[in-house]
Amino acid sequence: MTAFRIPGKGRVNHDTAVRFRFDGKSYGGVEGDTVASALLANGVHLMGRSFKYHRPRGPVTAGSEEPNALIGTSRGKGRFEPNTRATVQEIYDGLKAESQNKWPSLNFDIGAVNDRLYMLFSAGFYYKTFMWPKSFWDRVYEPVIRAAAGLGVSPSEPDPDSYASRYLHCDVLIVGAGPAGLAAALTAGRSGSDVVIVDEHTEMGGTLLSEDQVQIAGQSAWDWLSATLDELKGMNNVRLMTRTTAIGYYHQNMVALSQKLTDHLAAVPGNAPRERMWRVRANQVVLAQGAIERPLVFDGNDRPGVMFAGAAQTYLNRYGVKVGERAVIVTSHDSAWYCAFDLADAGVAVAAIADTRDEIAPEFAQMAADKGIEVLKGHTVSSTTGRLRVKSVLVNPVRNGKVGASRTIDCDALLMCGGWTPSLHLFSHTKGSLNWDSEAEVFLPGDKTEACHIAGAGRGLWGIARALEDGANAGSEAAIAAGYATEVGLYPVEADRTGGGVTHKELPSDRDAGKAKAFIDFQNDVTAKDIRLAVREGMRSIEHVKRYTTNGMATDQGKLSNMNGLTIAADAVGKEAPKVGLTTFRPPYTPTSFGTFAGYHKDAHFELTRKTPIDGWAEENEAAFEPVSLWRRAWYFPLSGEDMHRAVARECKATRQSLGMFDASTLGKIEVSGPDAVEFMNRMYTNPWTKLAAGRCRYGLLLGEDGYIRDDGVIGRLSQDKFHVTTTTGGAARVLNMMEDYLQTEWPDLKVWLTSTTEQWATIALNGPNARKLIEPFVEGQDLSEEAFPHMSVSECKVAGIPARLFRISFTGELGFEINVPARYGRELWEKLYEAGQQYDVCPYGTETMHVLRAEKGYIIVGQDTDGTVTPDDAGIGWAVGKKKPDFVGMRSLKRPDLVAEGRKQLVGLLTDDPKTLLEEGAQIVADPKQPIPMKMIGHVTSSYWSEALGRTIALAVVEGGRSRMGESLHIPMPDRVLSAKVTETVFYDPEGERLKA
Amino acid sequence: MNVQNPIQFEPITAAHSGPVELTILPEATRFNLRIDPAGLAAASTAFGVDLPERIGGWAESATRSAICLGPDEWVLLAEETDRQAIEASFAGIYSDVPHSLTDISDREIAIEITGDRAAELLTVACPRNLDAIAPGSGVRTLFDSAQVVLYRDTSDKFRIEVWRSFFPHVWELLIIANKELASGL
Repeated sequence: MTAFRIPGKGRVNHDTAVRFRFDGKSYGGVEGDTVASALLANGVHLMGRSFKYHRPRGPVTAGSEEPNALIGTSRGKGRFEPNTRATVQEIYDGLKAESQNKWPSLNFDIGAVNDRLYMLFSAGFYYKTFMWPKSFWDRVYEPVIRAAAGLGVSPSEPDPDSYASRYLHCDVLIVGAGPAGLAAALTAGRSGSDVVIVDEHTEMGGTLLSEDQVQIAGQSAWDWLSATLDELKGMNNVRLMTRTTAIGYYHQNMVALSQKLTDHLAAVPGNAPRERMWRVRANQVVLAQGAIERPLVFDGNDRPGVMFAGAAQTYLNRYGVKVGERAVIVTSHDSAWYCAFDLADAGVAVAAIADTRDEIAPEFAQMAADKGIEVLKGHTVSSTTGRLRVKSVLVNPVRNGKVGASRTIDCDALLMCGGWTPSLHLFSHTKGSLNWDSEAEVFLPGDKTEACHIAGAGRGLWGIARALEDGANAGSEAAIAAGYATEVGLYPVEADRTGGGVTHKELPSDRDAGKAKAFIDFQNDVTAKDIRLAVREGMRSIEHVKRYTTNGMATDQGKLSNMNGLTIAADAVGKEAPKVGLTTFRPPYTPTSFGTFAGYHKDAHFELTRKTPIDGWAEENEAAFEPVSLWRRAWYFPLSGEDMHRAVARECKATRQSLGMFDASTLGKIEVSGPDAVEFMNRMYTNPWTKLAAGRCRYGLLLGEDGYIRDDGVIGRLSQDKFHVTTTTGGAARVLNMMEDYLQTEWPDLKVWLTSTTEQWATIALNGPNARKLIEPFVEGQDLSEEAFPHMSVSECKVAGIPARLFRISFTGELGFEINVPARYGRELWEKLYEAGQQYDVCPYGTETMHVLRAEKGYIIVGQDTDGTVTPDDAGIGWAVGKKKPDFVGMRSLKRPDLVAEGRKQLVGLLTDDPKTLLEEGAQIVADPKQPIPMKMIGHVTSSYWSEALGRTIALAVVEGGRSRMGESLHIPMPDRVLSAKVTETVFYDPEGERLKA
Repeated sequence: MNVQNPIQFEPITAAHSGPVELTILPEATRFNLRIDPAGLAAASTAFGVDLPERIGGWAESATRSAICLGPDEWVLLAEETDRQAIEASFAGIYSDVPHSLTDISDREIAIEITGDRAAELLTVACPRNLDAIAPGSGVRTLFDSAQVVLYRDTSDKFRIEVWRSFFPHVWELLIIANKELASGL
């Protein structure tokens, strides 16, 4: 048994010893301990160093709001976590924890010199101190500040743990399982509604865990708690979740829960996730989050051993741990008196209770007298002493606003209470309004934006009786709103600890305020004088004060500091607190690991990757891949020793000389079907479709309302009423959405329907002079001769016995066919054609060769040669726009003055003066390279490749007035030199198109 | 014709990765039927199943079934060998009741999910309230980032139909989650 543990007391399991290490030293605790409670049981308060001044710090709370006791924990390789709150982390056998922000050791830390230099580190110091010389910022100041500040060290190894996600739907979600939450759960659960109740702690009970003296409905608090939990667990409509924090409250009652599953276990089951994110959609939400104790602001209020009275009470009653041997209480609220009494009863010497108030309840004075505790009414604290642990406190009487002489009282624990702040974080996420209660000087929930109910101390109610009653009512309201009939139970309470208190700005002192280290934000080392300095320097809004001083900007989001910061800022500004404002709380409520947010999205499952039916063949044949929207596509097929340039040159050459094959399955496909299909096509696309015969294809161009090119593709008319539309790979979903949008909102009268068939078909493109020879023996039901099946034909026939849609089209300028077969047959057909193609030295090629071959022909790629500001005429494909059509999407915009103006950027070819020079895609083009900088840029390169067929480089570019510049020399300034190129037509290869007719 | 295994990284077998049985169902005939609800009676006759009028409704005969996914949208499921017969049957009513009947048999892959914890397994990635999906109905929804059609056959038997290229992502996640269920945490 450790020195400060009281045998048998509390809810921990005294019979099960647990050993763990902190800063390399082995400590003993018991099952149920947190790192903080176990260390305190060993008499250790010093657990870390502060952020800026490296001041020694110990735990100030017993919960998730802890700003000081942040530690690193490690569970093996890759499983280091910084900034874990020692007050939350449960111990288990073998746990390794370490303190942070210290060097060389926690007891002796060089960085603590900052504490002596505090004058340098006042509010906004980095805006002032490190301004000159300017060049020092990047090289000296910032690196030094970054190295000196900060708390834990970021993990440097990949996280080997897995993380999980779930969706959950319920009638009533209850956040917080203290008396209010439990009473709400009983009411809602008994009504039959689906209830989920969550609590961030290891066990449910909230305040009841620390207040075992209360009698509820004739039972002791812990018996009642146990019976209540048993009843709730017995209801199959109630789900209880511990170690689960509601971290965010989003629209339409979507609440995110972060559940810790394994961090408390010595042995973790296989495949078990470390944490799980629950996305709960609740019909009704009950927020029963309670209240958070508020620090008193005085010089030296941050020494190890100075903590909340409520925390000391929790350590005592829940964990059976005395936080010291000789305690002094300083308070402005009645609650701390009970802490004093509990400590005294447990054998702790309570030297004094200093209350800032002049009036206190006579029964308190009587009880204090009975227990031999000195009572100091109307007192303030002016300072504390002690280096690694508080040694004494200086208390002064305050009479009529005048601070009297100080008196020193020795203590090893100074327990403070400056009141209680209702926890409004989740309510604040909903953007619900807050009302200022000027009497209690707290913000309370106001108008709601979501179906939520706030119960208990979270709305300023004090005492267990009121929490139970309010919780029961809130549970009832919620269940009724969810459609259930309820009966509200009664919970008579005895030995309740009610009371009230007042709040303060900095406590009055007889010492020099300029030298006081009276902390408001323990985690960011912000003091009261920092706030006042910020106001003196012109900050008026709390939002500005916050950013200037960093008050409330640490990971605890100001749970302890916001109200004190606001009170002091309001005092300095000379306005009421609500006029200065409260900063907005944002999710997550407590620090949450990235893993929990990422969930299953890691490693191979990081992002959905679409693969074609032929992808496996490409992989087996060692293709290089590139991502194209969500797809991965074969980029090129390098033979051994080939780089991309040589592989692509070979693929291009083989295709133009004999035969290439290409997996075009990713092309978007949409079946447009119905009696009004042709009318629909006429309205959507720029081209005329009425006269296109069944069995024939046409290049289709799709514009947006603005007249700019959105998508393109070859479209086949299968029958009078049916079109097979193809889109770009990336545009498939977008085009279908756009079509559906028009159909449903503009033309609901049209009898035509759309179906995505992208994945119904695997598509194999065959290009090259031998393409026909290869497929002819496989095709049944279609004569492939030039006469019967000319360029731009489509047929439903059979290929290798498989029902197919066969297109004669070309994106290469060679004789070309595209065979669509049901996806399941894609790879089989590919392999058959590849095998049969050996006689023609068939060459599988990837997207890069496809790009080169089409560029040689001047065929555009939407999104590469167009950028959302290119009209059909700009792209040189004005011929695709039906001149006699009454309307189509974008037609009116094409007549806008700026779209018909002279000098628009037009797509042209560029041939560099040096045929070996490859332009950079995206490079800017100028007319005169000698003009002064900034030069006038008249266009940019959109496509640029080595053309094996031409034995030189080629490029496409958009250039102002490009088509009137044929033959003109233009210039492309690059970082090291200026390149020159001549403007040409866009078709570089076979401009007459003879090869298509082969 | 020898049917190509559509799944390149996993054989077509039940995946015993955890308490829930995961099975890739054999190829079937699927049509996307788009039709004005006024023509529903004729379409029902053509298909041989009374097409459900409510979105989410799922009607079955011995070998065929139909689910309503939108105000004018149905998916028809049938045996692999019935494709041409169904096409012929609908072609017969086209002039009177125009519609779109599009073969999507190969667009999708179907997964059957069976077991006491099947619904729990689906909650890893399906945002819908599964309790609100009665046995004998279905919905178009998301599974993680993939669009799926989710059918509920009985309280502990589901079927997911997912586009072919989204299938590996969905299948992999089902297996990860099934292992997670087996871990007990």
